[in-house]
Order: sequence, then C-alpha cells, then structure tokens
Amino acid sequence: MKINELLQLAWDVLCFRTDAYAQHVARADTLKRGLTLLVLVTLVAGLLGFLINTVQNLRSIDPAVQRQEAQVAIREFTSAIATLQSYLDLPPGFMARIIRYMQSGIDIGLRINALPTPFPKPVGRFLENLGTFLSLPFNRIAGWLGYTLWVLLVAKLLGGRATVTQMLGATALYAVPHVLDILGMVRCLGGLLGLIGTLWGIAIYVKAVSIANDIDIGQAILATVTPAVVGILLSGLGLFTLVILVVIGG
Amino acid sequence: MKALIQPVWEALFLSETPYADMRAHPNPVRRGLGTILLIAVIAALVGLIGTALEWATTPAMSDIQAVVLQSIHDMPWYRDLQGLPEFRQQFSQWYETGWRIFPQLFGAPNIAGAGLRILWLPLVLTITWILYGLLAYIPARWLGGEGTLAQTLGCTALAVAPHLFTFATLFPYVTVGGLVGTWTLLCRYVALKTSHRLPWGRALIATMVPYALFGLFVALLSCLTSAIIGALFAGGMSQ
Repeated sequence: MKINELLQLAWDVLCFRTDAYAQHVARADTLKRGLTLLVLVTLVAGLLGFLINTVQNLRSIDPAVQRQEAQVAIREFTSAIATLQSYLDLPPGFMARIIRYMQSGIDIGLRINALPTPFPKPVGRFLENLGTFLSLPFNRIAGWLGYTLWVLLVAKLLGGRATVTQMLGATALYAVPHVLDILGMVRCLGGLLGLIGTLWGIAIYVKAVSIANDIDIGQAILATVTPAVVGILLSGLGLFTLVILVVIGG
Repeated sequence: MKALIQPVWEALFLSETPYADMRAHPNPVRRGLGTILLIAVIAALVGLIGTALEWATTPAMSDIQAVVLQSIHDMPWYRDLQGLPEFRQQFSQWYETGWRIFPQLFGAPNIAGAGLRILWLPLVLTITWILYGLLAYIPARWLGGEGTLAQTLGCTALAVAPHLFTFATLFPYVTVGGLVGTWTLLCRYVALKTSHRLPWGRALIATMVPYALFGLFVALLSCLTSAIIGALFAGGMSQ
C-alpha cells in the first residue's frame, strides 16, 4: 500500500469519482485501505492541536496564573447565571455557595497538580497529550463502526449486496474531508470548516453505501438515515415514557 | 511466532483467507489456543508497560487522598458538622472505603492489577472462546452449517484479533474503548460464516445466539439476585 496511491484515492473520493469508489470496493484489501486512510486523516486532523497543547504544556505553569484564569472563568460563569436569574428563581445565597464550592474545587485541582510525581511533570503532560492524540482514531472508528453495522443491515434489507468488508472499507472513506478539522482551533473558521467536513463526509458516506451495495442513491440515503431516525424515535419514546411515569408518580 | 501473528493481523481486517486456512488446518483447536494465549500475554505485557508509565506520571493516590481530605475539612459544611462525634467517625469510615473503591473504578493506574492481568487475561479469553465456540456451534449446525466443532473453535479463536488494538495502550492514557467488543463480534461473524459456509443471514443469527443467551442469563441472574435480596430485606423487616 503506497502513500501516493492512498493520496490519489483520497483526492478521487473527495471529487466523487465513481470509478475510484468502485475500484476501491472491488479490492481484496478494501478494509485495510479504508481504515488506513481513516486513521491517517484523523491523526493529521488532530496533529496541530496536539502540537499546540504540547508546546503550551512544556512551559512551566505558574499556579498564580492558573488561579487567575480560573477566577476569570468563575466570573464569566456567574455573570452568565446572573443574566438568567429572573428565569431561574434561585434561592437566596445560592450563588455565593456555588462560587465557594467552585473555588474549593479549583484549590483541590491546583494542590493535586502541585504534588510530586516519579517522572518530571513535563514528561507526564507530554504523555497525557500523546495518549489523547493517539486515542482519536479509536474514538472515530468506534462511532463509525457502530453506526455502519446498522446501515449495512438496512441496506441488506433494501436488497444491498455488500459484504461486511466491502461496506466498512467503502464507508471508511467518509473520514477524508475531516482533514479540514486540522483548523478546528481557529475561531469561527474552524467551526465552518468542521461543518463543511461533516456535510462532505455524509455525502461521501451515502455514495459509498450506494456503490458498495449496488443500490441507487435514494435507497442509500434511506439506509444511511434510517438508523439515526430509529435511534431518535426510540430515545423520544424512552423520554416520553419517563415523563409519563414521573407524572403518574406525582 | 510470526506464523501465529500474521493470520491474526489478516483476520483483523476480516479477510476470509486466514479463517479458511484455520478451517483446513489439521488441528485447529490447538492452533487456536496457541493464538489466543500468545495475543493475550502480549496484550497484558503491553498494558503493564503503559500502566507503569501512567503510574510514573501520576501523583501517589495517598497524597491526593490527603489533599482532598484537607480541602473538605476547610469547607464550611464540614466545619458546621464536625462538632458531632458520630458524623466525624462515619465520615472518616466512608471516606476511607470510598478511596479504596473509586480510584480503581475511574482508571487510576494499578501496577499490581496490570501485572496480574498477565495471568488472568489468557485464562478469561480462553474460557470465553470455548464457551462462545460451543454456544455458536449448535445454532450454526442447526441452520445448516457444515463445520465441525474443532473447525468452529479454530476459526472463532481468530476473533481474538481485535485485541491487537490494545497494543496501542503501550502509550499511557490511550483509550481504545468499546471498539474491541464490537470488532470481536464482526470477527466471530466472519469466523462462523467461513467455518460453516453459511449465507450472511444465517451466519448473523448463529453469531448473535450466544450473545442473546448471555443476555438472558444475566437478566435471569439479576431477577434471582433481586428476589433473594428482597426476601432477605423482607425477613429482616419482619423480625
């Protein structure tokens, strides 16, 4: 598996080239290729955040500065609550108590942070960042896998012909536009690029479902959205039942 | 060792070749057992290294416990109640008990536990493999499967492949989550489909039957436990 082949596949996928999808699905190593792309894209997307956090954490952190930042966060929280006070009907002294507990929590955090560790603190902070960074592909795979198995089931019921390997290999390509998440930390632009990546990824997912299963785009859309709709309906039903039980229980 | 790990690597990507090779092997059970033991021991060793690194970058639990206790002592509600001797005694007991249980539940690094895993992970994976193989064999045959019990066990042993994901825990703070469980389900599906030469629908049913039986067993056990606890409480109240 060569990197330039993978890059070419990624580009063709982004351009919705049907031949590229069909050739990818027909390969014996479709899942290996799809999964490799998904992992690489996720790591690239998280790389900038990892580097920024690493550089920030390697600097020695002054506890006084941390305390000051925490105080600012508490002030922002209390002013946000104050604007809602007329709607919330809070008991007298409630805010003072909340602030006192938040300050105690911050004190505990700062004091634990100051405790000694066998390895130097910067090593620990680096390893923690690295662990979070390396966990990103696993989180993405877990979410994608769980959903795709249900989509495969619906697609099969609609007459789809994909094997598990073909379905997973094809739909893993949805991750390619998420390379835009690399700029997720940039204010405003990051959110917009994230949205574009998500919508582009959904479109790629639908096309991949259609080609892997040899079904038309309408059926692929139905297969893709059905698990989400059923999930929402079941959650709504559960919530409704809970409300009814609470009402009956008084 | 490479001869054992290579098929597991291919099995991870749900390729039917390693499962078909296992089916054709003269002694699939012995080969399957060897595969499970090898992967389990490596996974546990890797986990031990990761846990040791995490321990080395975390303050001692006893120090954290002391800091939290000191902070609680400084809180107004504690100062209000500390005059009551009963409260002081009970609080101290609950606090100590809590610190014996909760750090483990929230994933505090435990080197002794990670070391013991070298013994119990191979054992647990072997028992699970045999139980699953036996429970899946019956519905697979009933649904028209052609595989023998030995072939079923050999092929389902390759479902240990998702434990390769846990090799990433060599790096501390890496979380693989529930991925191993879901991927194991997929590997078992391919194993039963290949070993019994079943169409997808029947292979899916044969794969899910052991899970359904396990769910039923847990539900029955829960009901039984609730009934026993209820009876004990009722007996205690009536006295």
